[in-house]
Amino acid sequence: MKSRCLVFAAAAFALGGGAAYAQGGCELKLGAMGPMSGGAAQWGLGMEAAATLAAAEVNAQGGLQVGDKKCHVTIISYDSKYTADGAAAGSNGLASQDIKFIIGPVGSPENTGIKPVAARNGQLAWNASYAKNALEAKYPLMFHIAPGPSAWADTLIKTAKQTFPMKSVALIAPNDQGGTDIVSVDAAAYRDNGVTTTEEYYQRGTTNFAPIITRVLALHPDVVDTASSPPGDAGVIIKQLRLAGFGGPIGRLGGPGTDEILRVAGGLDVVKNFYWFETVPTEDPKVRAIDDLYRKLVGKEPVGGTSFWADLPAARLTLKAISMAGTIDDVQKVAEVLRKLPVEDPNMGKGIWSGQKAFSINQELFFPFGVGIIKDGKNLGVKKVEPVM
Amino acid sequence: MQEFLQAAIIGVSLGAQYALLALGFTLIFGILGVVNFAHGGFYMLGGYVAYACVSGLGLPYPLAVLVAVLATAALGYLFELFMLERLVDDHLATLMLTLGLYLVISTGVLTVFGPLSMQFEFPVTGAVHAGPIYVPLENLIVLAVCSTAIVALYLVLFRTDLGRALRALADDRAVAMAQGLRPRLLFPLAFALATGLAGLTGALVTPILALSPGVGDPVLATSFLTVILGGLGSLGGAALAAFIVGIVEAYSSVYFGGSIGALVLFVLVLLLLVFRPTGLLGREIRGA
Repeated sequence: MKSRCLVFAAAAFALGGGAAYAQGGCELKLGAMGPMSGGAAQWGLGMEAAATLAAAEVNAQGGLQVGDKKCHVTIISYDSKYTADGAAAGSNGLASQDIKFIIGPVGSPENTGIKPVAARNGQLAWNASYAKNALEAKYPLMFHIAPGPSAWADTLIKTAKQTFPMKSVALIAPNDQGGTDIVSVDAAAYRDNGVTTTEEYYQRGTTNFAPIITRVLALHPDVVDTASSPPGDAGVIIKQLRLAGFGGPIGRLGGPGTDEILRVAGGLDVVKNFYWFETVPTEDPKVRAIDDLYRKLVGKEPVGGTSFWADLPAARLTLKAISMAGTIDDVQKVAEVLRKLPVEDPNMGKGIWSGQKAFSINQELFFPFGVGIIKDGKNLGVKKVEPVM
Repeated sequence: MQEFLQAAIIGVSLGAQYALLALGFTLIFGILGVVNFAHGGFYMLGGYVAYACVSGLGLPYPLAVLVAVLATAALGYLFELFMLERLVDDHLATLMLTLGLYLVISTGVLTVFGPLSMQFEFPVTGAVHAGPIYVPLENLIVLAVCSTAIVALYLVLFRTDLGRALRALADDRAVAMAQGLRPRLLFPLAFALATGLAGLTGALVTPILALSPGVGDPVLATSFLTVILGGLGSLGGAALAAFIVGIVEAYSSVYFGGSIGALVLFVLVLLLLVFRPTGLLGREIRGA
């Protein structure tokens, strides 16, 4: 009898507490979208982790101040599987739960799928795609987490050429928009720097790259660049290039994932000579501190990889804009506030709004980025580069 | 000429891997009449079990491969016995069950091991170089193991009572049962044999390529394509088709590039389905 009373008391307390929460507080649901299974899962789970950490930060302070209310922020995740239809379905799925703000998606195919659907649903979203049309003026509620290669490829190539003199490069990437858009921009940047280029594409899902490598090596390039190939693919490509006897440098003017590339390829001794783009200066202690913050506030190990770090400012700025706009429903008003916010982040430092030149719309975050070099099997580190328009 | 010879070497190496996968896939279809959509999951699981044994338990790699084969075979046995057996003739139910198992395996692996690729290396590395031509040592070892497994499978199926019983069930289940053969005993064994082969391939190939939660996805497509080319349910056809697929993939990718190379394979299968719907060595219809 005593235990039954306790159960009733607990239930009454829970119901009472819930009612009080419903009357006095509010709940802000934030969408997190990206590939959370399959080969690119690291990038989608990074997006989810960024949204989760930003939410945990404001919840730790009693919630997000929106007008005169404190809103508890919850994250609703959606696995868009790196596909256009997955992201479009995700936008609708999140809209059906009255979610108006989405941190994600990640890839170019996803971005192609979500843009028209999210616009119809009146959702504000952040994509991390490197597509040539990552942003479009006709979709003003779409924001961009970081710039594509048009903003940093030239710097990367000039830095790499100081360490690895080169006259020709072969670029390898998947044959969908996630590969072709990036490779075409990378190739133009190489040519502008006096390096001749050849482009080689493969079907996404390819596991054994030996035939493609045979084809590439027949061209005798000085450098092979894995561009936007997923990190797992890039690791296998490098491993098989070295096995085939290719001794030249390998570049990566594409997405993050160097740790995973090194793991798959077999380590520094195998990779040997390598230069790559990092979306964030990974050796900055303030940037690395994000992982500790995640452990402290979320109570779990971070997903790993550097894309999580790069995605975090977008989630934080979105919450800040919602708070300053004083609404969780008026997306246009939040977007207006967001566009005027200074690009600052406690961990990333100061950045700039960019995108006008590449997309005719200035809705792209551009924080300091990094250029990494491995020479003769020795990691020379990631050099921090300040953003310039 | 250099590319031509290199493509031949790559093609044979790919063919051996595809043969092991396709034999298991076609074995299940031939005997049970079930299309195993979880085949890629068993391949992936084989890789992860071997990885866990090597990195977690410190077992030597050959022993880890053996554990992977036994683990995937055991899971296949239990899955057939407790889940598939009651619904084995209901094609939609078996489709959903095997697809569901694949999702369970891939999500389980993602949860336990995380989304990143594992550092799982083949114990033997390097290549034999003959001028500009090279043959990776690991591929030679995999080729030898795959060839041995294919011969062993042939001997089991065509030289033992178990094999004769399994083939009898595939030919005509009603007559085989009238002769005293028990599908409830034999079907799980056939399923275990097939999933063990997928696990073996995963344990052998993932350290050479990569081990991540997505590695099972392309396996199903490749296995399907191979067994359709060879003739659904035909073991000889699957083995023959696997080497054709490997060699066509290698040559088309080397000479036409990665995008057209993949297309050539599917065009080949489409043409075959138009002119010979039963595949290279397939029969018109299975008896079960």
